[in-house]
Amino acid sequence: MTGTDTLPARRIAVVLAVLGLATGPVPLPAHAAGPAPLSARVGGAPDRPQTRAAPAPPPPTVPTPTAGASVPPTDPGGGSAAPAIPPTTGPVSPLGADLYLRSCASCHGPAGQGSQRAPSLVGVGPASVDFQLGTGRMPIDQEAAQPPHRRPAFSAAEIRAIVAHVSSFGGGGPQIPAVGPGDLRDGRELFLANCAACHSAAGVGATLTNGFVAPSLDQSTPVQVAEAVRVGPGLMPAFPESVLSPPQVDAVTSYVQELRGNRLDRGGASLGRLGPTTEGLVAWGIGLVLLVAVARWLGSRAGE
Amino acid sequence: MITRWLLRRLGRSLDDRLRTAPVLRRAFAKVFPDHWSFMLGELALYSFVVLVLTGIFLTLFFEPSTADTVYSGSYAPLDGSRTSAAYASTVRLSFDVRAGLLMRQTHHWAALLFVAAIVLHLLRIFFTGAFRKPREINWLIGVTMLALALFNGFTGYSVPDDLLSGTGLRILYSVTQSIPVLGEWLVFVAAGGEFPTEEMVPRMFVSHVLLVPAALAALIAAHLGILVRQKHSQFPGPGRTENNVVGSLFWPSYTMRTLALFAWVLAVTFALGGLAQINPVWIYGPFDPAQATSPAQPDWYVAWGDGALRLFPAVEFRIFGHLVASPFLPGVVFGGLTFAGLYLWPFLDRRHRRGQLSHQLLDPPREHPARLGFGVAVLTLFAVLLAAAADDIVAKIFRIPVLDVLSILRVLALALPIPAGVLAYLVARVLQASGGRGVGDLTRQDVRSVRRAVRARVGAGVGAVTAGSGTPPPQDWAAPADADRIELWRDRAGRWRWRCRGAGVLLTANQLYLSRDEAERAARTAYGDLPLREVEPPGGAVGVPAAMVERAGRVAGRTGGYLTLAAVAYWRSRRSRRR
Repeated sequence: MTGTDTLPARRIAVVLAVLGLATGPVPLPAHAAGPAPLSARVGGAPDRPQTRAAPAPPPPTVPTPTAGASVPPTDPGGGSAAPAIPPTTGPVSPLGADLYLRSCASCHGPAGQGSQRAPSLVGVGPASVDFQLGTGRMPIDQEAAQPPHRRPAFSAAEIRAIVAHVSSFGGGGPQIPAVGPGDLRDGRELFLANCAACHSAAGVGATLTNGFVAPSLDQSTPVQVAEAVRVGPGLMPAFPESVLSPPQVDAVTSYVQELRGNRLDRGGASLGRLGPTTEGLVAWGIGLVLLVAVARWLGSRAGE
Repeated sequence: MITRWLLRRLGRSLDDRLRTAPVLRRAFAKVFPDHWSFMLGELALYSFVVLVLTGIFLTLFFEPSTADTVYSGSYAPLDGSRTSAAYASTVRLSFDVRAGLLMRQTHHWAALLFVAAIVLHLLRIFFTGAFRKPREINWLIGVTMLALALFNGFTGYSVPDDLLSGTGLRILYSVTQSIPVLGEWLVFVAAGGEFPTEEMVPRMFVSHVLLVPAALAALIAAHLGILVRQKHSQFPGPGRTENNVVGSLFWPSYTMRTLALFAWVLAVTFALGGLAQINPVWIYGPFDPAQATSPAQPDWYVAWGDGALRLFPAVEFRIFGHLVASPFLPGVVFGGLTFAGLYLWPFLDRRHRRGQLSHQLLDPPREHPARLGFGVAVLTLFAVLLAAAADDIVAKIFRIPVLDVLSILRVLALALPIPAGVLAYLVARVLQASGGRGVGDLTRQDVRSVRRAVRARVGAGVGAVTAGSGTPPPQDWAAPADADRIELWRDRAGRWRWRCRGAGVLLTANQLYLSRDEAERAARTAYGDLPLREVEPPGGAVGVPAAMVERAGRVAGRTGGYLTLAAVAYWRSRRSRRR
């Protein structure tokens, strides 16, 4: 899966958005079209350590850096649907404001000031907003401690518009990082040193405290990985430029791309890359069951 | 025809010099019981053979050293990284050596299957009472081999010096260290210093490829030697007594079956090695004490120990001022108790049953409900411990907080074994009473009748063991009651043979005897006092004309073959001369 995949639903969403521009009110795509998000309560958000470089309050929810087949703004793949939509024109985009008021404001407040149900968006930064929307974690239609990665509810252009609108609330925050190809070897070493303890060396994710999980990185695009590194969504720590330089982030994103799919599974079926547990299950459930069946069959052929 | 002739010549010349014929004749005449569960130990044996074969291959390319090296090879993300020589050579043999990865994966799969087969074999021995006198020695040897297999599996898993196994090694180091007074000395002697030491990989390697395999090979030889000496045990059945073994001859019948099993073990291990990825150390990365990967579990055969460490509350206490660290109870004491229990079981069971007699006939598991119940309870505990070793994966998949998973498993570890054991006990009683073949044959009525019987017995306060209603106790199967008579005859070569003809069975003895007396004595040993009758050789005596025709046919065939060969040779030489 790459960021250039065009999912049917998103295509429909883009068409609907275009129609909406032409005919008046914008109908929202499937995911966001339901009742406005009931709640975006954030489990760990209030007591997050405020140690990040950017003065960013917690992101709208507690996800961690996974991501989906969304098309982030810097991704050239998103351009396929872009021409029909007016390019984002900064904080005054009517599309962004409209989408924000429909899908986000009920919890985050019309000016991003936050509410009892959701944190403030002032100063979270474009990277955070793009990450949450691009991985489909926001908007949520159901209260969840850790919204799962989903297909994004908005098209790339819509996400760009919302990001611009939220940025207009002020406060700064990490910008959407630009990523390029990086060194695989450095990436592997940095990943093992900084990421593997939670996301597992194989990138399949692992459990954290209180039922939170560090999600699998199998669907993360380079930009989403870089955004998560800079923003530190959920329980993940943020890695500002003073900790990981841009070339180092490029290296990590490149290695994560190498981990995705089954390119590194040179030994055959990956068995979920979960390690000795699944291997033991296969050894007993397939290997030994087969051999015992053979022994039974041979025993039944005694005397022939 | 020519191979047979060659073999015969070879056999004869060997026999002239070494007198192999009597040994081979006896070996070929060894009887193997036909029940499939007697092949479980062979599964372990053949897995061991696969391990040795693939292990030799791996030894040629593995460097047992922690020396700093720079990997350069076709695995791009590691190319140019500084790692230990052990790790670099493991990745190199996986990616840059032809068939290296297949061999490494097959070796690992075979190791998992090796221990699994040992455990299954042990369970068969345990539940059928095959460990009883006279087979206690072989039980002790078997348990020792299990311990060695666990140890060798662990060292083999650790020598590549990767991130996942290094974590496990650190745990074993700490568990050993937690032994009061001795622990520090032990780890310093074994590892040569504070973890991680440079000596660990070379030492584990020597132990993994030389010491333990040599010990295993010697113990396997002793295990099989004792097996041949004591002869097989067998399940009770028609014609089977404490003094005989009923089954197939080693040659040709059983040889074919056991070779087929060997071929299947090769096929399954290599298929797994080629199709399913195991222990991808190139993804895990080299070991670094400052790094970790999660989720992390050990291979299944040591996972019970890891599960115990995860489940047991962190208890530390002091004895005479010595701090006893928390891994001591779940790690050292529990592991020690497990193996002490295994080693002592034949003697505990004997004292319990007050049986000093030799046993050649096995117990069907239902005949000893208490043993069955105890075994099932212990197995249930170990199953919970295995699940506990994977608590992080369970938590991840079901999105339950890992501490909740741990609490649930703690409750299960305490609450599940005893009900499971009691259930197994009751099922055994019900099966005994109903005489059904398996659990699937039971009806509600069977269950009810036994409940009534148990209640009645408890009410009466009588300690009798016979089951309420149903079939007579199966000791009677083995009694010679259904074996009608012994038939004796003299075969064409003038040797005496005998067989037992019973209701529905016809069992021919595997030995040949020079005199009628010897044959008669052997028959009496196997079946006690049965009516004895001398009969015509079975299949009818081969008449002289038939034998002559057979011999003439053979001669004609041979001559014809040689003539054809000569004709072909002549024709070819003519043709080549014409050119």
